[in-house]
Formats: sequence, C-alpha cells, structure tokens
Amino acid sequence: MIDAVHSLTLAGATQPEYPSVDDFLPDPFVFANTPFAINRIILVRIIATIIMLLVLGITAKKAKLIPGRWQGAVEWLIEFVRDSIVYQVMGEERGRRYVPMITTVFCTLLVFNLCGIIPGMNIAASATITLPLVFAMWCFFQYWIAGIREKGLGHFLRDELFPKGVPWPIYILLSPIQLLELLIIRPFSLTIRLFANMVSGHLILALCLSATQFFLIDVENKLLAPYGVVTFAAGMFMFLFEALVACLQAYIFAILTTAYINMSYPEAD
Amino acid sequence: MDIVTLAEVAGNLNVVGYGLAAIGPGVGLGILIGKTIESTARQPELGGRLQTLMFLGLAFVEVLALLGFALAFVLK
Amino acid sequence: MELFLPKSYDIVWSLIILVIVAAFFYKFFLPKFQAIFDERAAKIEGGIAKAEQAQKDANEAKEKYEAQLSNARVEAAKIRDDARAEASHIIADARSRAETEAAQVTANAQRSIESQQQQALVSLKGEVGVIATALAGKILGAKLQDGDVQSSMIDSLINDLDKDKAE
Repeated sequence: MIDAVHSLTLAGATQPEYPSVDDFLPDPFVFANTPFAINRIILVRIIATIIMLLVLGITAKKAKLIPGRWQGAVEWLIEFVRDSIVYQVMGEERGRRYVPMITTVFCTLLVFNLCGIIPGMNIAASATITLPLVFAMWCFFQYWIAGIREKGLGHFLRDELFPKGVPWPIYILLSPIQLLELLIIRPFSLTIRLFANMVSGHLILALCLSATQFFLIDVENKLLAPYGVVTFAAGMFMFLFEALVACLQAYIFAILTTAYINMSYPEAD
Repeated sequence: MDIVTLAEVAGNLNVVGYGLAAIGPGVGLGILIGKTIESTARQPELGGRLQTLMFLGLAFVEVLALLGFALAFVLK
Repeated sequence: MELFLPKSYDIVWSLIILVIVAAFFYKFFLPKFQAIFDERAAKIEGGIAKAEQAQKDANEAKEKYEAQLSNARVEAAKIRDDARAEASHIIADARSRAETEAAQVTANAQRSIESQQQQALVSLKGEVGVIATALAGKILGAKLQDGDVQSSMIDSLINDLDKDKAE
C-alpha cells in the first residue's frame, strides 16, 4: 500500500509521520544532565499525579456519610479494589494489611495508563520502563518480606524452590527455574507487560491517527481520502481499545501483585 | 548484475521475530482463557479462585511474548 | 535497547511520585474513607438495632394487648355464665313461688269446696230428714206426731245410711 501511495502522491508530503520508539525517549527540557531532569513523559506523569491527588483529596476532604454521585463512584472503586482484588485473592484477614498498597498501585496505574488516550497528554505516564519497574520492585520487596516474616527465610525458600509432591530428579530442572522466577521473572514480567502494552498501544493509535492526518489533509491527491476515513475509524476503535487496555493492565498488575504476595504466605486455606 | 533479485523483503527482521514469538503465547492464552471460562461455567462458585489462577497462568504464558517484544527492541 | 534502560532522572521521579502517592493513599485517603465506611456501618447497625427494639416493643405491646383481650374474654364469659345462672335461679324461684301459690290456691279451693260440701251435706241431712218425715207422716198418718220418736227414728235411719256407705 505504501508503494501505491508513493506512486500516487507526487508532490507534498510523501509519507505519513510514522510514530517511532523515539516517542518514548524524549529529550529532557529542564534540569538536563541532573538527576531531576524532566522530559515530556515525566511532565505528563507529574501533572497526572497532581490532578489525581487533587481530585481524590478533595473528594476525601468533602466526603459525607451519604455519598453523592461522584463520591459513590470513588467508593465503588475503593470497594472494587478491596473486595474483588485483595479480599478475593487473599481473604479478609490476610488482605487487610495490603489494601492500601493495592489501592495505591491500582489507582495510580489506572490514572497513568489513561493518560495515554487523554488528548493533550497523548502518552501514558507509565510508558517508560522505570515507572512499572518501581511498582514491580515494590511488589518484589513486599512478597519477600511477607515470605520471610510468615515462614522464615529458609522455610520460605524451601517451599518456593522445592515444591512438594514432585519426584526429586525434577528438582534439578525445577529449582533453578523457580529461583529465576522468584528473583527476576516475576518483577520483570510485571514491568514489561505494562510497559509493552503502553508502548504498543501508543504506537498503533498514533499510527492510525497520523495516517488519518496524512490521507485526509496533507496528501494532495484527494482520491486517497477514503483511506483516511478507514484509518480514522480504526483510530476510534483503537482509542476505545486503549481505554480498555489501560483499565485491564491496571487490574492485572494489581491482581498479580496480590497473588504474588499471597503465594509467600503458608497454605492455610 | 550477477545476482537477480526475484523478490525483495524490506523492513526489520526483528518484527518478524516478534510475530513468530507471539504465536505460541497466543495459542496458550486462548487455551488458558477458554478453559477458565469452561470451568467457571461448570462450577460458577469457584469462579473467583479460577480467575486468580488464570491470571497467574497468564503471567507465565505472557512472559514468552514479552521476551519476544523486548528482544525485538533490544537486539537492534 | 535504550528503551529498556532506566534513566537516572526517570528513577528519581518515579520514586518521588510513588512515595507521594503511597503516602497520600496510606495516610489520608484510605483512612478517611475507612472512617466513613465504619461510621456508615455503625449507623446502619444502629438503625437495625433501633428497628429491632421497635419490633420488640411492638411485640410486647401486642402480647400485652392479647393478654388483656383474653382476660376480658374470660371475664365476659364469666359474667355471661353468672347472668345465665342467676337467670335460671330467678326462673326457678319464680316457678317455685308460683307453684306454691298455685298449690295454696288449690288447697284453699279444696278447703272451701270441702266446707261447702259439708254445709251442703248438713243442710241436705236436715232437709232429707224433714222431707222423709213428712213423707213417712203422710204414709203412716198421724202416728208419728211425737217429736222424740220422730228425731230418734231419723237418726237411726241416717246412721244406717252411713253404714251402708262405709261398707
């Protein structure tokens, strides 16, 4: 199709402005070369944080016994995280300690992911490797701490590396994999899952929209306009799909964090 | 010209690699989620537990696709 | 490659934001809403307790009312029984009084009848004697002019009559 476009468009822009991976590596524009350098994504992240804290803070400050519509929605969110994620996976007694952590993870990632489709921001605040990594390291420390606190280090490692009910030769294969899983795969799969979803979502959405811009406006041969309509429809679809993915990834991150922490506890139930 | 080019494939081979890497996890996710739906339909009262197990399994299955994604970018 | 290498300033900002957000959720947001949830639960439980109290009161009142009602019913039954007994008593009294009166009346009537009979018998006795004497005198002529003979004869005649009757 690109070749056809090349041959048909003789003058003007010959190609849509394809989005690239460089979108995720913007140059810092203040405090460059210091630990506090701010680039576009970090700016989006700071703005999103401030907006979230303001909105939720005002909601909490004004919270009344009989909830209004907005407060009802916020309360629904809190109860969803508490009941459907934490209590359902861990049970109420164990889960109570982790409710604030999971709520933080879920709400923050939800807002940050949704930045990817908010016009004006247009890039997810969680779309650098670092932010998901920081959250994943939090989860990592929490499940190690939980395991050591509940079982003791030796017992925890024995349970994890040598699971019961497996014939002993299998341990030669299984134990290194389990160790790798415990130390690297868990945090990094959490990180890369979120990051990759944000990156690919942004790339596809930006591709659809830049193609729309190119076919409808930039190109001189107006016979190509129907392509633009198609890409615009695809862009609309991807926009909605990204909204879904943003919520889903926040949910998956939260529920996997909970499940990993729960796996460090002894099998009580 | 000694070499006659019959067909030319242009573009980044990494993307092809990622496409191949996504096949297995795609099949795996389909089976995983389909089986979870099936089991939930059989025993709806276990739905919550099954969902948690599904997400744990999903974490394992997706690691492969994620490795493919990461390597496609890393090995430039 | 660069995509997967965290930059130092990125790490700094991510950590700062994480700490701020976590502090916000841990220290302010969730305790606030937890307090509201608790208060609401307490209110609802209080409401339920109040409703239960009201229910209990209503039940008690109902029991009391029912007890009163049954008491009243028993009393009414008793009164009715009493009235019935009294009425039958009265009737019986009236009847017995009427019976005695009737008996008296009958007795009086009997007595007066008897006395009249007696009178009639006495007068009849006299008249029968006179008539018989006159008849006998007519038959026998003047032979029986003597009074003594006359009366003694009549007496013996009547005695014979009495004897016949007695037999």
